[in-house]
Amino acid sequence: MNLPNPFKLLALQFRSEWRLYARDRGAMFWTFAFPLLMLFGFGLIFRSGGPQTLTLVRVAPPRETARDVAFVKALQDSKLKVLTLTPSDAKQRWEKGETTVQLESAGDGYRLKLNSYLLAQGQVVAQAASQAFLIAQSRLNGMPEPKRIPYVIESPGHARSDNYAAFLVPGLIGLNLLSMGLFTVGMVTVSYREKGKFRRLAVTPLPKWVFLLGQILQRVTVVLVQTLLLLLAARFGFQITNQGSYLVFGALVIFGTAAFLAMGFALSSTASTVETYGAISNLAFFPMMLLSGVYFRIDGAPQWLQKAIFILPLAPFLRMLRAVFNDGGSLAGETIGLAIIVGWTIVCFAIAVKRFRWV
Amino acid sequence: MPELIAVRGLRKQFPNVLAVAGVDLTVNAGEVFGLLGPNGAGKTTTLEMIEGLTRPDAGEITIAGLTWERNATEIRARIGVQLQATSLYNKITPREALNLFGSYYPKRRGTEELLELVQLKDKADAYHVTLSGGQAQRLALALALVNDPDVVFLDEPTAGLDPQGRRSLWEVVRAMKGEGRTVVLTTHYMDEAEALCDRLAILDHGQILRSGTPAELIAGLGIPSVVELTFDGPAPDPADFAARLGSAVDARGDVWEIPTPDPKTMLPRLFTAIESAHLEYNQVHVRRATLEDVFLQLTGRSLRD
Repeated sequence: MNLPNPFKLLALQFRSEWRLYARDRGAMFWTFAFPLLMLFGFGLIFRSGGPQTLTLVRVAPPRETARDVAFVKALQDSKLKVLTLTPSDAKQRWEKGETTVQLESAGDGYRLKLNSYLLAQGQVVAQAASQAFLIAQSRLNGMPEPKRIPYVIESPGHARSDNYAAFLVPGLIGLNLLSMGLFTVGMVTVSYREKGKFRRLAVTPLPKWVFLLGQILQRVTVVLVQTLLLLLAARFGFQITNQGSYLVFGALVIFGTAAFLAMGFALSSTASTVETYGAISNLAFFPMMLLSGVYFRIDGAPQWLQKAIFILPLAPFLRMLRAVFNDGGSLAGETIGLAIIVGWTIVCFAIAVKRFRWV
Repeated sequence: MPELIAVRGLRKQFPNVLAVAGVDLTVNAGEVFGLLGPNGAGKTTTLEMIEGLTRPDAGEITIAGLTWERNATEIRARIGVQLQATSLYNKITPREALNLFGSYYPKRRGTEELLELVQLKDKADAYHVTLSGGQAQRLALALALVNDPDVVFLDEPTAGLDPQGRRSLWEVVRAMKGEGRTVVLTTHYMDEAEALCDRLAILDHGQILRSGTPAELIAGLGIPSVVELTFDGPAPDPADFAARLGSAVDARGDVWEIPTPDPKTMLPRLFTAIESAHLEYNQVHVRRATLEDVFLQLTGRSLRD
């Protein structure tokens, strides 16, 4: 019996997967457009490390004293935008929830009111306002102005970039890998099994590995195209380029791809319907996406949570990818991070092989 | 005819049901063999064990001298399978599906020839999601033939089709037999079994109750004919009338069925009894006994129940 050459079949299977994938125009468009939209959206909003102007709402006093005038001047010197409103306008703005911090006269001094929903920004504004108050007082009293401590912006790997988009690019590459593994691979596997697509293949002599590898190669090429598009957008949209070796960068992306592919297959063996899988995969997806530092670091989170999240593969992956991409570093000191990624790959792969079912 | 498929002592226990409880059967080369039984009788499980999709708990299966334990790939290369529900990619066309599946096999039939055979030429480049139920079913049948198989397994090939769709599918099955292929099919339509099958096995509760040619099975009843008395509305209780007639009378819906070995002597007796009972009825028919009657006699139930 002369069965067809499996490698020829693999090529046919790969081509057929791509052709069918490309027919779902909407899904394909969003797969490639979503990371780019995120990059341009957030990259432009947070250009140069955070919002430019923080606004302080000031309730106009009945009469402007010399001290009020000096204080407003000092506030403006500290790059705060001061919005002076009548008491009724200020009240209205506060009640609409648009005010972060409100400055009011209280007795013979001042008082700050911070919006509890916007506390992170509010505290920054309050700090700046307190500092401005000290400066204004010194000026009024003819004393030397308190000196500000100068600061420089530097990344963990000592790169001088204040561009938020540079932080975002590796985050989005990691997010692409995560959603490829959990959704495209895992979800499709469960749905093929539930709908019986695998059963029809199981009665043909097509080797299972050919079918699976054909699918995997198609997904991997999608991820590579996504990554390439992100790199191009970063290069031409934000003048951000890979600071490290492309070889190390590529190797990391391949390691990550393997880990999240294996994770998708392993998770797919836990559910027999697409509905159940949807719940399980979201349970894995959202904590990893929100806590691993895709869009921002969560320094405020408790230590145990930060440690716990570092055991999951996305957080160490992103740290290593940023070390290479943003800081031009190597992986020399990243033994633990690499071990975590490789460990996840091996464990998930073992679960997938042991528990994978066609029907 | 040489024996092509031999099955001995096949058993399958599912978590809460014994789906197949010791099935023996043989299928000869070149025949159309049917597994007839109601839903849940174990037909599909039996078929899927023979197709190698479900692993039996016990029993032996040989197909052309090959076994699943030793020759799985070779068996797969030589059989054609139509599953009860064939799920394909939504946006694959019949032509692409036939080319793709054909590429898996050492021997393959031409795509155009298959499209012609199942009358899908004008739908050859339409997406699978846009096919009607009958067209999708015919594509599944063409896929089962893509490797020029020795044996074709069809699981409920006409389920859910309209009468015209069923007829055209029957023609395809007859064409398969005409080409010398062996066909094993499951059905719960007795007319389909009678029209298509050379031999069949009647299955219920995971066991074969009887097997043979349709004619043998019907002859085994010993009652070649059934007199049917139809009423306007539900048929009355037949107990008193049966006693008066001196013969069994089964009430089914708006019909009384009176099985008889000899309608010639039954009919005069029946009319005498009707007259003396002043029975108001609508019509009288005499028909040949069918596989439905065989199943009814073996299980006390109708196939459709």
